[in-house]
Amino acid sequence: MSVPPSRARQKDESKDHSEPIASSSTTNSRLANISKAIITPFSSYKSDSTKVLSDLAPVLMTPKIINAAASSSSKSTQGYNVSQRQRAYRPTAKAIDFALLGRAPGRLTGAGRRLTSHDLEIVEATSELLEADIPEPEGVAADVSLLRGFNATIPSSQRGKTRRRKTRNVDTPHLGLKRLGMNARGLLNDSNYDSAGPEDSFAQGPKGRPRRGRESLAATVRLGREELERQAQEILLDKENLRVRRTLIHAESSEIVAKISGLEALRQKLDKDLLKIQEEELELDDECNSIPDCLFGPSPDGPCVVESVQDRLAYEETVSKNPNVRPSEAHVMASQSIRRKKGPAFLPSEHDELPPAVAFMTLDSHHGAITCLDFSEPYGLLVSASANVAEEGGESELEVVKCVQVEEHVCITGGSDSKVRLWDLRRAGESSSGNESGGTVSNGEDGVFGEPSEGPCVRVLEGHSSSVTSLFFEDATLVTGASDKTIRQWDLTTGQCVLTMDILWAISHPPLAASAASGPAAGLLKAVSGPFAVATPPYADGSWDMYQDFVGGLQFWGYALVSGSGDSAVRMWDMRTGQAHRTLMGHTGAVTCVQFDEHHIVSGSLDKTVRIWDLRTGGISDSIRFEYPVTSLQFDSRKVVACAGENGVKIYNRTTLQLSTLSTNGHTQPAERVRYMDRYMVSGGRDSRVKIWAI
Amino acid sequence: MPTEVPYAADAEISLTYDELEVLRLQYEKEVTQAHISMQTKFNFAWGLVKSPKREHQVEGVRLFQDIYRSEPTRRRECLYYLALGHYKMGNYEDARKFNALLLEKEPTNLQAQSLNALISESVAKEGYIGMALAGGAAAIGTLVLAAIIRRARK
Repeated sequence: MSVPPSRARQKDESKDHSEPIASSSTTNSRLANISKAIITPFSSYKSDSTKVLSDLAPVLMTPKIINAAASSSSKSTQGYNVSQRQRAYRPTAKAIDFALLGRAPGRLTGAGRRLTSHDLEIVEATSELLEADIPEPEGVAADVSLLRGFNATIPSSQRGKTRRRKTRNVDTPHLGLKRLGMNARGLLNDSNYDSAGPEDSFAQGPKGRPRRGRESLAATVRLGREELERQAQEILLDKENLRVRRTLIHAESSEIVAKISGLEALRQKLDKDLLKIQEEELELDDECNSIPDCLFGPSPDGPCVVESVQDRLAYEETVSKNPNVRPSEAHVMASQSIRRKKGPAFLPSEHDELPPAVAFMTLDSHHGAITCLDFSEPYGLLVSASANVAEEGGESELEVVKCVQVEEHVCITGGSDSKVRLWDLRRAGESSSGNESGGTVSNGEDGVFGEPSEGPCVRVLEGHSSSVTSLFFEDATLVTGASDKTIRQWDLTTGQCVLTMDILWAISHPPLAASAASGPAAGLLKAVSGPFAVATPPYADGSWDMYQDFVGGLQFWGYALVSGSGDSAVRMWDMRTGQAHRTLMGHTGAVTCVQFDEHHIVSGSLDKTVRIWDLRTGGISDSIRFEYPVTSLQFDSRKVVACAGENGVKIYNRTTLQLSTLSTNGHTQPAERVRYMDRYMVSGGRDSRVKIWAI
Repeated sequence: MPTEVPYAADAEISLTYDELEVLRLQYEKEVTQAHISMQTKFNFAWGLVKSPKREHQVEGVRLFQDIYRSEPTRRRECLYYLALGHYKMGNYEDARKFNALLLEKEPTNLQAQSLNALISESVAKEGYIGMALAGGAAAIGTLVLAAIIRRARK
């Protein structure tokens, strides 16, 4: 029979555990092989742990799972170069087989037991848990073991206390306390409650002694020395328990504090994400609003001109009114600009690959500080002007271009010679330095202007008596402001000045609401009567100028005009009447730039602030402080881009209220002018460089 | 300092039904609060493991595995409790593995050593039972075979 030899073999193998690995391994291998040879007919399982698994759940354990388990367990017991530890717990194949059989009685009796997923969960988790690292216990774990905590916190830890309390329970004559308590709680008297209980029997103390009136309760009970000692011991133990509980609670509360701070950090991150979503929403709104402009197909004149129905109408109207006007010119004059739209521009796909907040292009052909710039569209035509400092020749006054605006191929400039010039950039392309994207048409350097009839300059508008410092045009209407403290409105089709708005007059005749304050206005009037010249506060590099541009900024829409002037006032004019119906006071220095949209007016001034005014109320909705005077700005629903006397261009995020600076590969002297369209920004600075950024 | 753990005999003493209920309620209350303290979990798990019912033991071991996973500082003690739990359930292999890990870390732990001995005893006992069964089955098989051969010869 196989039984006696196997028994003997088992004894051998149990001895093998104590022998060195090498020798036992070979004997084991032989024995293992023999046992396997005998046992295999009875079982078809692969290895010990999988046998356990398949025993537990023969139905659920598919061959696949068994194989997986086999491969994972065999990894840990590879070959015979196993550690002592694994040697210790790896019984021989034979013993396992018998152990399995030995479990049969248990299994037969426990036949009603159903295997649950928990069993499998446990078994599966074991191998994974064994891999885990076991650090040294520290902190609470070292102080209070789990078992100690258990004994301190289970209900039976209160046993000692209740027992002691019971020993102090004194049998007194019936006091009816329960009934008192029930009444106090508002419960009805229990009718079954036998209030007239055997009171008489309690009239005497426990030992038959009659209890006298004022005797203390404690005197009636005698605990005895043993009991008291026992109580003392118990109390010590309870105190120890309390210490344990206190430690546990401290540990738990510090854990919770850590959790809370973690969650708090999460919440702040979510807040930031919310702000980003708000920004994106504003961006989408802008996009959506600009779509009507783009909805209608391209016009026959040029691929980049996209018009709406009104444009087409205006164009056709001008053509019909002025049959002698060339169609292209009329188109130029009538076209609604897409440029001032706030939505996304058409950019080359490579623009997306540009790193943000980096000046990726520098245009270096100017020799003096950039005085003004504008472009028709991203990667389109850029017009920039500079003041040539080292000017030769006997010209006492520098003929400088002070303001420019470009719409498609129309460019209007205003210069210090008090003349306004219209240019057709299509004609200028051939004569200047290249007309490819980013090409510059340098103007105003040394007073070389083309003749009106030929060359790029189409028309010259004269009327102002001092340098034209600010202009804005749309369709066929142009508005210019000059240092003679007037604002003129021109009709571009005829070239005539339609309206002159006198700021001095507006100062001395303030709108109805503030008419009572004519006294201070008179004082202001006197202050600005003379030629306007203020010293600007120093810029970041310490330099400063005499600022003489009385009208710092202009913009109009329909017949609503907004001007920013050197008396630090932002005025809202009605171009039908020529009256300033509203004056926004708030700045304390000359206003250098303005822009408005449907909701806000944004103005920057030499007082180092940018103010955002609410159109409806006329009040200040926001104010951005800078360290140096603000010379140029542009804004949309999400941001305000400003040149604030520093080398870097400032961007103020209107949703997160954060200020950031663009300075990578930026200017080396204060940036003075900026313009952007969608994600393409152009800035010009005193270092005579024009830098193009991707934002 | 060796970890303080109870002897295996302690695991045989089960809590009363009420006590276990109290622990269970405490645990479930904390579950609803979404913050389960280590001590409640341990209390409940230990109470379950001590119980004689198999499903309680299974649940207890599962909870101990949770503790093992989530609290690295408590792992050493958990090794012992897991070994104990598996021992009670009859998974001698797992019990041995865990116990061996613990002994590696703390060779002087008395309770772990005693648990080791207990596990070996139980494994051996099962082995003997198995052998007896196998022997009995073989004996019966031989008898049956002999009867068949005899009948065949007749």
